[in-house]
Amino acid sequence: MSFRTFFLSLSASFGVAWLAIIIVPYFKMRSLEPIVMEEGEGTNAVYIPKRAGRIADGAEVYGENGCYLCHTQLVRPTYAGNDLFRPDWGGLKAIDDRPDTRRETNVYDFEGEQFAQIGVSRMGPDLSNLGVRVEELYAKDISPEDWLYRHLYNPRFKPEDRDSKCPSFRFMFDESEIKGNPSDDALEFAGKNGGEITPKPEAKALVSYLLSLKKDQAVPSSLNFAPSSGEEEAAPPAPADEPSPAGA
Amino acid sequence: MSSATQKSSSQDALLRSGIDRSLRHPVMFFMTSGAAWLAVSLILGVISSAKAHSPEFLDGCGWLTYGRVQAAHTSALIYGWGFQAAFGMIIWMMSRLSRQECRASGIILTAGHVWNVIISLGTLGILAGYGTGMPWMEFPSFTWPVITITYAVIMVWSLVQFKVRPEGHVYISQWYLLAAMIWFPWVFITTNLLLHVFPGNPVMAAGINAWYKSSLIFLFFVPIGLGMAFYLIPKVTGRAVHSYSLAKLGFWSLAIIMPWAGMQKLTGAPIPYFIPYLGAAATVLFFIPAFTAAVNLLRTAMASGDIVNNSPALRFTTAGIVGLIVMAVAAVFLNLPGSTLKLSQFSLSGYGFEMLSLYGFFSFVAFGAIYFIVPRITGREWLSRRLIKMHFFISIYGIMLIAVVAIFGGLQQGVGQEMFDQPWATASTRAYPYAICITFSWCTILISNIFFFMHLMVMWLRLGRRSNHPTLLVSAHGHSPHGEEGDIDNAGPGTAAAH
Repeated sequence: MSFRTFFLSLSASFGVAWLAIIIVPYFKMRSLEPIVMEEGEGTNAVYIPKRAGRIADGAEVYGENGCYLCHTQLVRPTYAGNDLFRPDWGGLKAIDDRPDTRRETNVYDFEGEQFAQIGVSRMGPDLSNLGVRVEELYAKDISPEDWLYRHLYNPRFKPEDRDSKCPSFRFMFDESEIKGNPSDDALEFAGKNGGEITPKPEAKALVSYLLSLKKDQAVPSSLNFAPSSGEEEAAPPAPADEPSPAGA
Repeated sequence: MSSATQKSSSQDALLRSGIDRSLRHPVMFFMTSGAAWLAVSLILGVISSAKAHSPEFLDGCGWLTYGRVQAAHTSALIYGWGFQAAFGMIIWMMSRLSRQECRASGIILTAGHVWNVIISLGTLGILAGYGTGMPWMEFPSFTWPVITITYAVIMVWSLVQFKVRPEGHVYISQWYLLAAMIWFPWVFITTNLLLHVFPGNPVMAAGINAWYKSSLIFLFFVPIGLGMAFYLIPKVTGRAVHSYSLAKLGFWSLAIIMPWAGMQKLTGAPIPYFIPYLGAAATVLFFIPAFTAAVNLLRTAMASGDIVNNSPALRFTTAGIVGLIVMAVAAVFLNLPGSTLKLSQFSLSGYGFEMLSLYGFFSFVAFGAIYFIVPRITGREWLSRRLIKMHFFISIYGIMLIAVVAIFGGLQQGVGQEMFDQPWATASTRAYPYAICITFSWCTILISNIFFFMHLMVMWLRLGRRSNHPTLLVSAHGHSPHGEEGDIDNAGPGTAAAH
C-alpha cells in the first residue's frame, strides 16, 4: 500500500466521522431557529430564554476553579437517568398550590455561555437549578447571595453539611478591619482576627452566576416533554401566553 | 551463515548503532523530562485525590484548590509525560523502521525544550487560576498554537524519514505511528478552532470537548502504544508477528470505529440524539481493535514465555497489553446505554477509565520502551534488576486498584446517584471508600516510580553498567540466554579495570 493510498484511506475513515459528528452538528447547532411558544393559531410569540446575572465572568470563575470536576449542569431525560425524579434538580416538585416545574435540560439553558459546563462527575449534586434551590429552599433567614457566600467560605458550616467534600473557597474572600459601618455583603461571622469577611470580585461573579442557574421559566410546548396531568386535560385550554402547568 | 549475510548483518548493526547515536540526545531528553513530568503529575494526583475525600487537606489556598490541582494533574500526565514519552518512542522507532539516521536531532531537541516551557506555563497557568474550564484542554488558550507548532516541528522529521525510506514493506508499527501522527493534529486543531476561535453553541462545544478526550485516548495513546508493542514483542522474542492479517484487521477497525467515540458522555444533553448513541456504540466496539491486537501480541509473546519473564522491556509491554484487555472490557461494561451508561456517565468510572488507558496500558508500554531504548542510546545497561522489579510489581498493584475503582466503584457510586428518593449524601457516601482507594493507589504508583526515576537518573548520568550483557530479571546471571557474564567495566575508562 503506498503512502498516498494509506493517507487517503485514513482520511476517509476519520473524515466521515469528523464530518458527521463534529462539523455538520457544529454548524447546525450554531444557528438554532427561534421557537414559537405555543403551536397553533393566533400566536407568534417566540421563546426568549431569560437569565440574569454576571454569566460570562461568573462562568469563567466556575471553569478556572474546576467546579465542573465535581458538579454537573445536566438534568437528563428519564431514558438516561433518574435526575428528573429528584425533587429539586430539574425545577421544584409540586407542593401545595405550586405546580411542578421540573423539566429536563434544554439547549437554551446555557444562554450567554461559551462552553456548557455539563461536567465530568457528580461528586457533588447537579447545579442546573441551584438558583431556585437556594432562593426557595436553603436561604431561609438570609439572602440567597449571603447563603452562597457562607457556603463557599465554609461548605461545612451547617451541621447537616458536615460530610460535604466541597473545598472551601476562602481565598476568594478578604478579611479586613471594620471601619465605620460594616459592609453589606460581609459574612455573618468574624474572621480569625476579628475583622469582617467580605467577598472578592471573583466570589461575587461566581455567586451571581450560580444564582442564574434556574429552571423556573416556562418553556415552549415543543420543548416541554413532561406528561400532561389528568386535571389539565379536563380543564379548558389555558390562554396561549400563560405558562401551562406541567403535571408530574 | 554465508559471508554475504554476515556482512549485511554487521552493516545492519552499524546502521542501528548510527541511528541510535544520532537520536541519543532528543530521545533521552524526552524520556527523562517525561519522567520528571510523571513525578509532578503523580504528586499533584496524590494531593488532589486526597482532597476529594478529605477536603480540609492543604485547604484555603487558591493555588492548591481541588479543581485546579486535579486539572493540573491530568494535564501534566497527558502533555508532560504521555506526549513526551510518545515523542521519544515515535522518533526512535520511525528512524529504526525507516532505516534512516536522524538529521534534525538539534531541531527536535530545541522543540522539545519549547514543549517543556509551554507545558510548564500551562500547568502554572491552571494552578494560578487561568484555566479554560474545558476538561483536558485546561491550559490557558494562548498555549494551543505553540503546542501545535512545536508538535509539528518534532514530528515532521519522522514523516520525512518515512517518505524517503528505502522501498519495501511497511511494518504494522509504522501504520499505527503514522496514523496517530496525522490524527492528533487533525483532532487538536479542529477542537481548538471550534472552541477558542469560532465558538458555536455551548452544548456542542461540550460535545466536541468530550470527543477530544476520547480521541486523544483512542486515536493517539492507543495506536502509539500498540505500534510500540508490535515493535518490541517480535524484536525481543525474535519471532514474527503471529498473524499479520489479524494485525491489519486490528489497525483498520481502530481507524474506522474509534473516531465516532466520545460523545456518550453527553447522553441526555440537548444535542442531536444519534450522537451519544454512536459514541456509546463505538466505545463498546473498542473491544474489536483491542482484542485483535492483544491476542495477536500475546500469541507472539507467549510462544517464548521465558523471554517475557526475563526481559524488563517485554514484561512491562506484556503487562500493558493485559491492561489493554482490561480497558477494552471496561469500555464494553461501562458504556451500555440503558443499563450501565447512566451509572458510569458522571461517576468515578470516567476518571478510572482514563487512568486505566493512560497508565494501565500506555505508560506500561512506554516503560517497556524506555527499558529497551535507553541502554541502546546511552551505551550503558540498567544497573539493577531489583529496581526494575520493584517498579513493575508496585505499579501493577497500584493500577489494579485503579481498575477496581473504575469498574466497581464507579458503578456503586452511580447506583447511589440514581436513588432519587434518597438524599444526595447517599451517593457521596458510596463513593467515599473508592475515593480513598484512588489516593492509596496514586501513592503506590508514586512509590513504584521513585525506583524508576532513580534508575533513569543513573542512566542519564551515564552511570549504568558498561557491559555487553543486558540486565535481565533472572536471579542467576550464569543462566542468561546471552551466555556467560560479559565484560563488565563499571569503573569507566582510564582505570585499571578498563584495560
